[in-house]
Amino acid sequence: MSAPPAQIAQRGNSGLKAVALEALAVVVVGAALAFVCNAVSPRGLDLTRDHFPGAIRPSAVTSAITNRAVSGGGTNASPLSAAELIAARLKAKDLHLCDRDSVWRLFQDPRYAHNLIVFVDARDDAHYQAGHIPGAHLFDHYRATDYLAGVLTVCQPAEQIVVYCNGGDCEDSEFAAVFLREAGVPNAKLAVYPGGFTEWQTNGLPVELGARQSGVLREKTK
Amino acid sequence: MTAAPPRRKASEAFAVLARWLMGGLLIYMGLVKALHPVEFLKLVRQYDLAQSAFLLNSIAAALPWFEVFCGALLLAGVAVRGSALVLLGMLLPFTALVLKRALALHAASSLAFCAVKFDCGCGMGEVYICHKLVENGLLMALAVWLSTGRGQLLAVRYSLSRAG
Repeated sequence: MSAPPAQIAQRGNSGLKAVALEALAVVVVGAALAFVCNAVSPRGLDLTRDHFPGAIRPSAVTSAITNRAVSGGGTNASPLSAAELIAARLKAKDLHLCDRDSVWRLFQDPRYAHNLIVFVDARDDAHYQAGHIPGAHLFDHYRATDYLAGVLTVCQPAEQIVVYCNGGDCEDSEFAAVFLREAGVPNAKLAVYPGGFTEWQTNGLPVELGARQSGVLREKTK
Repeated sequence: MTAAPPRRKASEAFAVLARWLMGGLLIYMGLVKALHPVEFLKLVRQYDLAQSAFLLNSIAAALPWFEVFCGALLLAGVAVRGSALVLLGMLLPFTALVLKRALALHAASSLAFCAVKFDCGCGMGEVYICHKLVENGLLMALAVWLSTGRGQLLAVRYSLSRAG
């Protein structure tokens, strides 16, 4: 014999309530466990730090491309080039740009050997070990506590500091530069190399493998 | 007591496979992100979800482990309907965000909509937007199906309110 409709509706309501409560329990326990896992994980994120200092909202970049494309009557309008975007972004952050030729000149400058010119690699340790500009200091600003003291020690007496990451879409060099500026490094000394390690390597310039001053070099190939 | 009809049995077996598939997928995708939290943080930032650094960090730090937790529940068959409902609650806004970002990228480029490809932060690297939308649609359909009471077979504790 089937139950009356009112009884079925009541059962349905209590079933829904049970599922909703179950979902709530999953959310509460899951969220608590998730934060505990992040806290105990050696790769966990520091929740209180701003990892993107001086960042420009990603949507603003997309809008800039779109606006440029639809402006000017739409006849000869072209989207902003990547180089124009990077230059505009660096200007907005009050950071100096250093192109490949300037970076190469600084690399060959005798002051580089005396640490008056310093190269800062803003990528992570794995990328750094796989290859970096010879003599560059590793500064993964997402793990700032591990590197900041050492990098500041070499940056303070330097006359010129070049910060780079992978190049292309990578903004880590900009964040690292802003981070160093906020840590007390004078802005006038700081420059960002937007082409980054990819451009350096693509042009066959020397690359150091492993740790800094490891002596393992892949020499200039072009 | 009569045995369940073969069609019902097949449907239940399929539900269990779907539960395991979803659970395994969630654990895999969650772990990929949890092991590379900085990369995930950068991807989350692309969605412009939060202006507060703490909120952005919290999303990037907790979401991967939360996915692993939900995946483990589905795989083991614990609180299945609740987990499926939570999964649906995560997939709906995530799919809307992915769609919004894809539309912005589509507007900013001359690419056809289905040719738009980007790393959406799902743990699978760069994906074509149309593939991603279909995949998410299927996952949401499975989540709805599981939340209606399917997949009880081989569940450790299907429901928290009663022994499964």
